[in-house]
Amino acid sequence: MPTRPTLVRLALAATSALLMLFIVGPLVRLVLEAGPMSLATAFADGEVRASIVLTLVCATAATIFGALLGLPLAWALARRDFPGRRLVQGLVDLPVVVPHPVAGIALLLFLGRRSAIGGALADLGLEVVNHAPGIVAAMAFVSIPILVSGAREAFASVDPRLERVARSLGDTPAAAFRRVTLPLAGRGIIAAALLAWARAVSEFGAVVVLTYNPKAASVLIFDRFTTDGLTGALPAALALLLVALAVFLVVRLLQPRQIR
Amino acid sequence: MIRLEGVTVVAGEFTLSDVSLEVPAGGYALLIGPTGSGKTTLLETVAGHQRPSKGRVWLHGEEITTRAPERRGVGFVYQDHLLFPHLSVGENIAYGLQDAGRGARVTELAEALGIGPLLGRGVARLSGGERQRVALARALAPRPRVLLLDEPFAALDPSTRAALRRSLLTLQRTERVTILQVSHDFDEALRLGDLVAVLADGKVLQQGSPEEVFRRPNSAFVAQFTGAGNVLAGEVSQVGPTESDGRYLGRFTAGSFALDVVADRTGPCHAVIRPEDLLVSRDPLPAARNHLRATIERVERLGPVTYIYCDAGRPLVATVTSMGAESMALAPGMTVSVTIKATAVLLV
Repeated sequence: MPTRPTLVRLALAATSALLMLFIVGPLVRLVLEAGPMSLATAFADGEVRASIVLTLVCATAATIFGALLGLPLAWALARRDFPGRRLVQGLVDLPVVVPHPVAGIALLLFLGRRSAIGGALADLGLEVVNHAPGIVAAMAFVSIPILVSGAREAFASVDPRLERVARSLGDTPAAAFRRVTLPLAGRGIIAAALLAWARAVSEFGAVVVLTYNPKAASVLIFDRFTTDGLTGALPAALALLLVALAVFLVVRLLQPRQIR
Repeated sequence: MIRLEGVTVVAGEFTLSDVSLEVPAGGYALLIGPTGSGKTTLLETVAGHQRPSKGRVWLHGEEITTRAPERRGVGFVYQDHLLFPHLSVGENIAYGLQDAGRGARVTELAEALGIGPLLGRGVARLSGGERQRVALARALAPRPRVLLLDEPFAALDPSTRAALRRSLLTLQRTERVTILQVSHDFDEALRLGDLVAVLADGKVLQQGSPEEVFRRPNSAFVAQFTGAGNVLAGEVSQVGPTESDGRYLGRFTAGSFALDVVADRTGPCHAVIRPEDLLVSRDPLPAARNHLRATIERVERLGPVTYIYCDAGRPLVATVTSMGAESMALAPGMTVSVTIKATAVLLV
């Protein structure tokens, strides 16, 4: 009769295998169903190519936008004790619980031409709704919580006493940040940015409300699915999946071992 | 020279209150006290990582109370080394150095601390002792005037600790640096310090030379913390005439336990008697004021010294040489005579 630890191991292996099957199974099925020829079809299709490029560019822009505004906040949340810190932390996480079409509608109201901000941006020549900046805004809204909480954890994982040592060795606060905090938190920050980027690429619900045209890849796939059915959607779906996976893998392989 | 004048620091819920302390230039001072007594907060105040709400801090005649840490010329070594994990040993040591003469200084310190062969290595696989040597070299590299050490030897094995203490004392002389070290171990103060300050609950209870604090603790707490061994609560009354120095023969009583003492006070107080001032013998010794009959409860042999725990109406601990303990065949259950000179009892 198997011993108790063996049973535990078997149970662990079984549940983990089921989970892996649940994640990998649908993706493998998609690849097999589409077949290699459909990839050629997809890349020959100018609309698919344009939507994938648009998606990658917008996701990158959303991640950069999130990093510019989010990293200083992530640092403050990790290092400073200020009134309302918990509230700010909660607000940053808020987009996670907002259903994505709801986020899209909220952004539409906030950034639409008839809103104060949207109007002001339009006057400056920056059209948001139904333009690429709308895709960036929707992607940023859903991916910023991932970036900020990951970066906050990365900053918090650096012992503040290391910065004190650096200060005692002659560093100004800025130099200590550059020479100690950033190199040590950098891996975690890059990992957080990568996850945020991946989240942005995969966004559909908020994007489709804010900017239906030009079509981001997820919107295009949905569009093809509703008009041409499964066979019409498959090539574009496969192309987006492979491009996103390829970028994700390349960036991860460039990472130092610790965060992989 | 380090001088603190009436320094009060509020750090979260902890307060360091009204601390005054002076360490002469080139001196070696130890801050001792139990965990949470404010030793690290005091060091961080000298380093500039904590800002006093009251009082002033001086380094070598200059007031630096509000000066930024990087402009104080103070090196800091923590107990857990805190080496920069993304840099090699050599890069860690060179961290605070400007480019000119950098290599020579790193080599000089690495040689002095016996870590020359490690310079090119990463810090992850160093032993505890090696890490502490690197941390020490890194702190000393920019030639600070003051070196602050936060329990630097606490996590080391005894032989590594002894070797590192020797290196540190040598470096203190060659580098001409003033050292303020935190420790929870009074033995360390006796071995290393010219000056010791005892902290508890954010206050300095006593400061002076280690020998003075050891011999003349000013409170029951300091006596206990410095290993006085016997600290008894009781009451003193005057039984003899007052001498020209203001002192007199007194009687210390704690319940039925009584000792003749040389007193300068009456009323409730503590009697402090160091274990080595209790003379244990099979028969009473002549020419001493206090002879007690005691029953041995436990005998602890620690190398050349043996601790005798006995009951003489109050629990007492005495030390005898292990040779003496053997020749008297001291053992639990045995009744012995304990002799205490009146002058060996310190009242606090």
